[in-house]
Amino acid sequence: MITEQIARIIASFFVFLELSGDEIVDPDEAVQMEEWLCGCLQELDKPFLRGLVDAFPVVALEYSGEAQELVRKIPYSFYLEEALAEGDPVRLAELEALRDAEES
Amino acid sequence: MSQTKSKHQTAFSSWLRTGRRSIGPSSDLVEVKFNPWHDPENGQFTFAGSGSQTGDSGNPLRSSPRIAIGRSGARHASAAKPAPGLAQATKRSPTRGTRLEALKSTQTPTKPNPASGSKQPNAAGEAIGGVGEGIYGAAQGLYSILTTNPVTTIANTARGMARSVDAALRAENTPARIQLVRAGDAIGRASARDIGRVAGSAIGNVALAAVPGAAVAEVVAIRNLAKVRPRISYDPAQIGWVKETLNSTKPWVFYNDAAPGARRGKAPVLMRTMPDGSKRPVKFDGVQADYVIDRKWKIVDAPRSRAQVERQTEVLRQHRLIGLWEVPNPAQKVKAFKLLRRTKASNIKIRIARP
Repeated sequence: MITEQIARIIASFFVFLELSGDEIVDPDEAVQMEEWLCGCLQELDKPFLRGLVDAFPVVALEYSGEAQELVRKIPYSFYLEEALAEGDPVRLAELEALRDAEES
Repeated sequence: MSQTKSKHQTAFSSWLRTGRRSIGPSSDLVEVKFNPWHDPENGQFTFAGSGSQTGDSGNPLRSSPRIAIGRSGARHASAAKPAPGLAQATKRSPTRGTRLEALKSTQTPTKPNPASGSKQPNAAGEAIGGVGEGIYGAAQGLYSILTTNPVTTIANTARGMARSVDAALRAENTPARIQLVRAGDAIGRASARDIGRVAGSAIGNVALAAVPGAAVAEVVAIRNLAKVRPRISYDPAQIGWVKETLNSTKPWVFYNDAAPGARRGKAPVLMRTMPDGSKRPVKFDGVQADYVIDRKWKIVDAPRSRAQVERQTEVLRQHRLIGLWEVPNPAQKVKAFKLLRRTKASNIKIRIARP
């Protein structure tokens, strides 16, 4: 349950950074904050991070349109699955192949 | 019989080596080999009769500026003191003067007579030497053409053409009669070496013309040079500095502030010109020569991140600069590489800068 609440806070922050206009949030500062947020999430404990990753699709249902897609893809944007698969080269290769397939 | 043959062989060998007939075995005369003939230009030894004769040979027949033998055969000193070697030889052998006179009278007429004209060069030898110099000069020109920087070659060619044009203009203003007189005078005064040098140069040039590959290669190189455009020098990029709003003691802030050329609390900014003419800033973390550095603590693949890559690519193109992403480890470098590849950013490089 706590993971969903944390995921909800992170989602709100991320949507604000992504969807605010350049006049409200400097785009370069927004990217810098996202990099900081990414680093913080990747350094979380693995079980808690696993819970967060699983909670983002649930939280995304509370949004609509572009914001929903943004929240749903937070684990993808922040390379959270890769952080969880650290030390597992097979899983990392699988994730890389999935990422390449999605881009192509 | 064998002794006589050996004596003849020795005499013939001596003639080959020294160019003079042997005066026979003499227990009191020590033969000293010395070649007084030198090339006046480089000082190297030449064959007998070519070049100039300099130095004291120790042989009174060859170099006798101090001992002149007149037509009557009378020996008289032309200088106050004889050469030291000669004086020593004379002291050793009282009959040396008589022997020298006899030798002088037996000199073969086909050999050059150094005593009568010690400074007179051998015309045939001089001409051959001149031919060699001419060929060498032509070959040297070919070597120079093929090994010199094409830009220098073109510059030299242009200078040579300018000189040729000037000479042609001068010749055009000179009456033909005077030019003919000058030409005849020049030929009349030319030495055998000069004529040989001209002939050799002509031979070398003919040989050069017979090697069209080198000439064609040079022409191709010159044609390629015409396609090379000179580098345009642009004004240095106008990099501004703005105040950083993020102040923290977290490691990622320190990492960004440690970029090369970074200023504490300030960020370098390039102004991006928008399609409507307005300008918007694009922030970086540091500057190093023509590289504008952006440090990435973590790579994020979100719409904002991709938009940032596009902004940076555009502003770098406008300012003719190169971007440089610095990441803390190889894993982030791989992610950054893939992100830049997806966004088709070609003017941003990546390197690892460990914190």
